[in-house]
Amino acid sequence: MTFAVAYTLAFFVIITAVATAMFRDVLSAIVVFGAYSLGMAIIYTFLLAPDVAMTEAAIGAGVTTILLLLTIARTTRPTSDRTFERVNLPAVAVVGGFLVVALVGILPEMYEIGDPGAPVWDNAQVTQYYLHNTYSDTGVQNAVTAVLAAYRGFDTFGEAVVVFAAGISVLIVLKREVFA
Amino acid sequence: MADPVDDTYTESQVIMTAVKIIAPFTLTYGLFMTFHGADTPGGSFQGGAIIGVTILMLAFAFGIEPTRQWLKNSVLVGLVAGGVAVFVGVGLAAIALGGNFLQYDRFETVLGIPDGTKWGMEAIEIGGIALIVAGVVVTLFFATAAGFPPKLREHNGHSRRNGPSDGSGGVATDAGPDSVDGGDD
Repeated sequence: MTFAVAYTLAFFVIITAVATAMFRDVLSAIVVFGAYSLGMAIIYTFLLAPDVAMTEAAIGAGVTTILLLLTIARTTRPTSDRTFERVNLPAVAVVGGFLVVALVGILPEMYEIGDPGAPVWDNAQVTQYYLHNTYSDTGVQNAVTAVLAAYRGFDTFGEAVVVFAAGISVLIVLKREVFA
Repeated sequence: MADPVDDTYTESQVIMTAVKIIAPFTLTYGLFMTFHGADTPGGSFQGGAIIGVTILMLAFAFGIEPTRQWLKNSVLVGLVAGGVAVFVGVGLAAIALGGNFLQYDRFETVLGIPDGTKWGMEAIEIGGIALIVAGVVVTLFFATAAGFPPKLREHNGHSRRNGPSDGSGGVATDAGPDSVDGGDD
């Protein structure tokens, strides 16, 4: 059952990703890209990463889609008779060949989802340390939050300032002095 | 390109009603995610983004210009800069108490706050990151919606007539290969 769900989701995500690249109309590409982000969010949930899934749903499907829609509302929308881009067959052959080689080389080496012997899980120095000591060290139960805000708080501080700098940069690029 | 008046807005009874119903729930969900992110999946980054998106939804339904007038620039700048200030403040307070930057356990050992580490984290999550993310999402939206000031656009058009001035430059270069394609077909 979960097998079927996983493959359906993977198929959906690949189809929407290709459609995003193929659509000639910008509005169609943005809408399909939103569907792609939603599919990715469900895949992250399926892979037991709800924090990443929430970020993907909020930022990828929500904020990015709205900002892109706003951008095409503010600019000229090029019209075209064709629905899809023309396929560049040599490029498809090169990328497809690379993809096949990568998948054939990488996929057999990957661990099953939830395999207790996978190095990322069966690691007493890193993963298991955080899982065992998060609550006694910090007093919060979500290990992801604890790692981000406490164990690597300085790193998160840099990220927060980068977000702040992004807002300022938009003002500089648009040559404005106020946001509103 | 658009003139400064708000021409992107179309009043729609369906969208307005839907947003009126959905907005309280998304706002509550964003606040829940922010305040409860330490113990359940989520956190201030995701929560702040959802709170920001709630404002964007309101702007889509009721017009960007009224929303922009309702949320003044000083409020938005206060949110974003205040969030950074809270984050820096918590970090520097730990230094002032004899620890390192963001060493939360000083609040417990020096000030005697029970669960000092937890409350230090909650402070930077709720008072810092959530405000920064929510503020920046809304400010990016408003800044993009406003676009170039018209005077500047005119000036660019006169000074560099052949060069790409603003958004239309990208469109013009897009149209080039397009027409070539048409000839090939």
